[in-house]
Amino acid sequence: MKRLWLSLLSIIIPASAVTFKDNDVVVLLGNTVIERAQKYGHLETAINLSTGKHKLKFRNLGWSGDTVFGHARSYFGPPKEGFDRLKSDLTELKPDVVIVCYGAVAAFDGEKGLPEFLAGYETLLTMIKSSANPREIIIVSPPSVENLGAPTPDMREHNKRLTLYSKALGELAQKHKLQFADFFTTLGSTKGLTDNGLHFTAAGYQAAAPKFVEALGLRLATGNQLQSEHARKLREATIAKNKLFFFRWRPANETYLRLFRKHEQGNNVKELPMFDPLIAKAEKEIEVLKKTTLSLK
Amino acid sequence: MIIRLLFAIYLATLPTFAQRGLKDIPDPDPIKQTAAFNLPEGMEIQLVASDPMIAKPVQMNFDSQGRLWLVSSGMYPHIVPGAEENDKVLILEDTNGDGVADKRTVFADNLHIPTAVLPADGGAYVANSTEIIFLKDTDGDGKADQRRVVLSGFGTEDTHHIVHTFEQGPDGMLYFLQSIYIHSHLETPYGVRRLMGGGIWHFRPETQRAEILSKGLINPWGFIFDEHGQTFATDGAGGHGINDIFPRSVFRTSPGAKRIVDGLNPGQPKLCGLEILSGSHIPEKLRGVLIAPDFRGHRINAYRLNPEGSSYNSTRIDDFLSSSHRAFRPIDVKMGPDGALYIADWYNPIIQHGEVDFRDERRDHSRGRIWRVTFKGQPLIEKKDFSKFTIKELLAHTISKERVHREQARNELRTRTDVLPEISAWSSKLTDDFSRMQAMWNHQAVNHTAVDLIKYLVESNDPRYRAAALRVIYHRHQEITDATNIIKKAINDKNGRVRLWAVSCLAQMPGPDSVPTALHALNHPVDKTMDFALWSIVREHQEHWAPEFEAGKPVFGDKLPHLIFAMKALGKSLSLESIFTSLDNGSLTPTERKDAISVISQVGSANNLSRLFKLAPKELTILDQLVTAAQIRKVQPAEGKEQLLPFLDSKKPTVFASAAKLSGLWKFAPARNKLVTAFTQSPAKRQAAAEGLRLFGDQETIKLFLKLSKESPDEATRVISVKELAKIAPDRAAASAVTLLQQDKAGKDEHSLFTSFLQSSRASTSLAKALKDKTLPTKIATLGLQRAGTSGRPPKDLIAALQLSGNLKPMSQEPSSADMAKLIERVRKEGDPHRGEKVYRQTDLQCTACHAIGGVGSPIGPDLISIGASAPVDYLITSLLNPNDKIKEGYHTTLVSEKNGNAQTGSLVSESDTEVVLRDYAGKTNRIARTDIKNITISPVSMMPPGLTAGLREDQFIDLVRFLSELGKEGDFKVSAKPIIRDWMTLQPHARTVDGIGHYGTAVFAERFEGYQWQAYGSKVSGELLPSELPKVKGRGRSTWGVARFAITQKGKVKLKINDTHLLDLFAGKNEIVLPEKGPAIIELNGNEDPQHFTLAVNSTSRQNGVLLELVIE
Repeated sequence: MKRLWLSLLSIIIPASAVTFKDNDVVVLLGNTVIERAQKYGHLETAINLSTGKHKLKFRNLGWSGDTVFGHARSYFGPPKEGFDRLKSDLTELKPDVVIVCYGAVAAFDGEKGLPEFLAGYETLLTMIKSSANPREIIIVSPPSVENLGAPTPDMREHNKRLTLYSKALGELAQKHKLQFADFFTTLGSTKGLTDNGLHFTAAGYQAAAPKFVEALGLRLATGNQLQSEHARKLREATIAKNKLFFFRWRPANETYLRLFRKHEQGNNVKELPMFDPLIAKAEKEIEVLKKTTLSLK
Repeated sequence: MIIRLLFAIYLATLPTFAQRGLKDIPDPDPIKQTAAFNLPEGMEIQLVASDPMIAKPVQMNFDSQGRLWLVSSGMYPHIVPGAEENDKVLILEDTNGDGVADKRTVFADNLHIPTAVLPADGGAYVANSTEIIFLKDTDGDGKADQRRVVLSGFGTEDTHHIVHTFEQGPDGMLYFLQSIYIHSHLETPYGVRRLMGGGIWHFRPETQRAEILSKGLINPWGFIFDEHGQTFATDGAGGHGINDIFPRSVFRTSPGAKRIVDGLNPGQPKLCGLEILSGSHIPEKLRGVLIAPDFRGHRINAYRLNPEGSSYNSTRIDDFLSSSHRAFRPIDVKMGPDGALYIADWYNPIIQHGEVDFRDERRDHSRGRIWRVTFKGQPLIEKKDFSKFTIKELLAHTISKERVHREQARNELRTRTDVLPEISAWSSKLTDDFSRMQAMWNHQAVNHTAVDLIKYLVESNDPRYRAAALRVIYHRHQEITDATNIIKKAINDKNGRVRLWAVSCLAQMPGPDSVPTALHALNHPVDKTMDFALWSIVREHQEHWAPEFEAGKPVFGDKLPHLIFAMKALGKSLSLESIFTSLDNGSLTPTERKDAISVISQVGSANNLSRLFKLAPKELTILDQLVTAAQIRKVQPAEGKEQLLPFLDSKKPTVFASAAKLSGLWKFAPARNKLVTAFTQSPAKRQAAAEGLRLFGDQETIKLFLKLSKESPDEATRVISVKELAKIAPDRAAASAVTLLQQDKAGKDEHSLFTSFLQSSRASTSLAKALKDKTLPTKIATLGLQRAGTSGRPPKDLIAALQLSGNLKPMSQEPSSADMAKLIERVRKEGDPHRGEKVYRQTDLQCTACHAIGGVGSPIGPDLISIGASAPVDYLITSLLNPNDKIKEGYHTTLVSEKNGNAQTGSLVSESDTEVVLRDYAGKTNRIARTDIKNITISPVSMMPPGLTAGLREDQFIDLVRFLSELGKEGDFKVSAKPIIRDWMTLQPHARTVDGIGHYGTAVFAERFEGYQWQAYGSKVSGELLPSELPKVKGRGRSTWGVARFAITQKGKVKLKINDTHLLDLFAGKNEIVLPEKGPAIIELNGNEDPQHFTLAVNSTSRQNGVLLELVIE
């Protein structure tokens, strides 16, 4: 009963749009759906073009299989190490806006897993605030999943679980007076955006990106803008920048570069900052392409 | 000594560093490389493709048109900032059938260290660092134009471990592997699947299901199905040859593994790739042989498997081929569509592991070769383009006698639509089990379950078909209504492998019956593999049977051994009532009784232990078991501890020792006086009493030790007091410990004082302080430095203090680049590997205390069998001088920090909820209770002490390096595949033999006399046993004998070849075997596994040449 009450409340009080400012660092945080978004570029491009003329730096910290506890981010230690790694990433990046999308993995645990998930989420929120003190934290509900039919498993039950988790996330946002982007609801029931039911294909991201923007309460760029040649180039530049940032942020061979084999190859960690000027250059290009795209009607 | 040597070189510095080792680089001309192969009679080799057509091949697979696909990575090991991702998928074709690739297509050129490719499903699956992608050419121009992520979330912590080795099973699933340092997190529609460490996955694209098949192995790059659907793997960093991969098997280095299974051939070279020789082109005697490249040794090893119990035995046979070309690096082997064998050659003079700098110029980024092996006089098989075949034709080929045809036809079936009706109609006409098995797989390959065929095959007379059918049930039991009955029957199958599969199937079907049913396998012979599988299911399914059992249900019926097995495996306290009842009513056999007692002590509560303790007077082993319960589980009897007192009066030292420990562990105050009395008055019980007192660990004990260490008139009491005090209050013992160390002329630290003082920084600081202004003998100070240097957190202050008091030079020796270049040159020009082997075998140097060569020696450090063929000379030198610089994966030190502030270091043996087991520098295992542990970390410190070679003359050092650098290369220092006796126990000198030999002759050595002391001894690399190296056992007059015992593990009659019987006697048991007086001989014996069964006595005064014993395999 209480839950119903709260969810009603969240409907009554509409989310005001997220604000973006010039030079904001925007972090995207989550699991597979966020991680893979960087390789296709649709999601980031759509958000970027919907934030007005601001110059923004997007940093995708998505990690396949991750949870609010940092399960996928730890290497040799317990999840806590992954959580701490995220903390140090956020401390270093000092984002102004953090877009958080977790719940897809946890929802497999169903109703019994919900309290643990929410408790973990609260710890995560506290950590984000303490490490980066961003101006905006947006809680995004996980996307709905597709029921592709046999021989893939029936996902209807899982969508029910996701409904439950999404509602709970809305309440969590309410409790913490944070923005809630109900991507689960704006995306709605879909078909053909994924080939495993869970994760968007290239076309899937293209179709889902506007729904994500809608959930954020932003006004989507015009069709003319989004479908322009400039936007295509912007997306390509975004993908290229994301790759460079990935090599910088989540390099291969961590065991040698920074962990217990660093006595063997730790000298090569000096190469990581060499990506910084390359990222900066790519970002300049993005800035120009964004401007030209938005100059279209 | 080496420091002086380096200094001398330093004066003659030349700027040659950039060229170091480069002189060693062989001629890359393929003609030269072709000439360097050593091929057995009848074998031919030809170059299929070479650079620049291809570069750096990592994995290859053939498609159904007979084209060779390979992934090529010039980017490996690490992207250069600013560089493009430009690694490739290449397709090679031989359009005119001359065996040489004449067409190359670049299918994709934008990949990031791709490590596997499998053409299938109308495109190709590619392992691409963090993801597996599917590439497809939709417009027919030969280039991929579609790219889709199939799975993502693979770790890249070490790029020579990333997701790799694709293999398509006969079941149509994609199998792939990852290695030790990789942590993967795959989100699937069935939930997230995480694999921390090495392991093997399977994935079915149709259902999107990805699951783990097996965990562990260090760096496994070989995986194969045999003709009957059993799976095997090789390990590029583990030395166990062929590994038997069954579901839920867990191998070495799997994180968190409490228990592992071993490979089938411990002591083998590290292997990359795996193939089974098959088809009519392969000479008959080689068909069915497993081949795997020893990429370090420039050769391809061969193994023959035979079923044994629930697993296999694997015998290494003669090498398939080898090369003397130092850049030949075979890393993948595949049967080709023409029936020939193809080899992917990574081509590099050095091994590109992480120990070599990412940017080292000797890392080759552009070369690579593909070779084709054929056999004279054996016709090749017809190469077919299955993409042009009808479904009917494809089906006919799935029962071809040529395995490559069967596989390609089956893979092609997957790409066709609506194949199921045709498959089913065709299958119904098959009558033999071989064809039915292929048909069963055809169904499975298109994601369908052929229930009828499965039911036929589980009734086959041939256990291999029964096992194959069960493997299908393992994956698809939901679709077989009768699955439970089939499995219930199979668990009592007369074949062990079939029973193992029944257990695996049950593991997929958790329920109240799964464990009780599985444990029926205990009614049949249980080997290690089966024991592991049963142990594993008991634990995995505990929530399904343990609550039922606790609720009083007779889960295991009247099968007490089943219950005992389950409880032992689970290691948790459950109701032990029925076990106690059986113990009380005397219905158990002696073995069952022993098991019952041990399970109670392993899982019992405090009340259970009280009850158990009452039985101790009759069952003395209970005392030791209670010690373990107190130490590891922290559980002790709730009441009745006073029964301990009589044991403290026991005349038996072992009983007293256990009781003394229990007194201390239980803090049983009434026992203290008895211990004090024994400590001060009874020499035989002194040590045990002191240990018991130390376990009290309180102030009273500390005061007592302190007092006795100073005031006891008895020296032994003083020494023991210091030693025990050092363990509990090192700071109070430091001054007396220094005195003891000063008197330690042998330099062996027999009281393990250093270990006590290295347990915490407080302790080591106290010793450092006590050493101030004191001098120590060089030997003991050196040993102290070695111990300190290999502890997880080397204490700087103590190291400095030991250097000062022992007047030692700094341990870490880092030669300059110029010094290194000079050293390498001298190793090449002056080093003598034969002299070097002698240096290696010196006991002082301790090499053999930790390392093995080809399985002979100690398992603590890496096996050095092919270190020379793999590691550059500079790597060897650095590893000797400064072991912390280069640490082989899997050999990092684990540092366990305890809650009391102490720390222990060693290599991790196993870990569980209750305990962590470490192996220390001496090979001793230490069990640490989980509840005592604060945290566990991987320490960047090698187990190998620095400065071991500091005592060598420079020529000895040069010889040693030369010896190591020859290991595994073609020549005298390649461990032969022949079955040579290499493991021995040697007799230590004993007074009895001097008289005895006069009465009995050398038969005195063959006696089972308890007083004889035996020590492990390993043959030289050549397999020889050197009489002069054996302990000199006195015979008559001035003569000395070397006496060694050995086992022959082969069963039944065996032939043994002896190189020379001169001055040599041989006994089987007590019976002398008549040998010719001298010269070579072949004798016939009955094998015997007892390592003490055969005794060899060689007159070491007169015989110089070595003894070589070799089994003759016919």
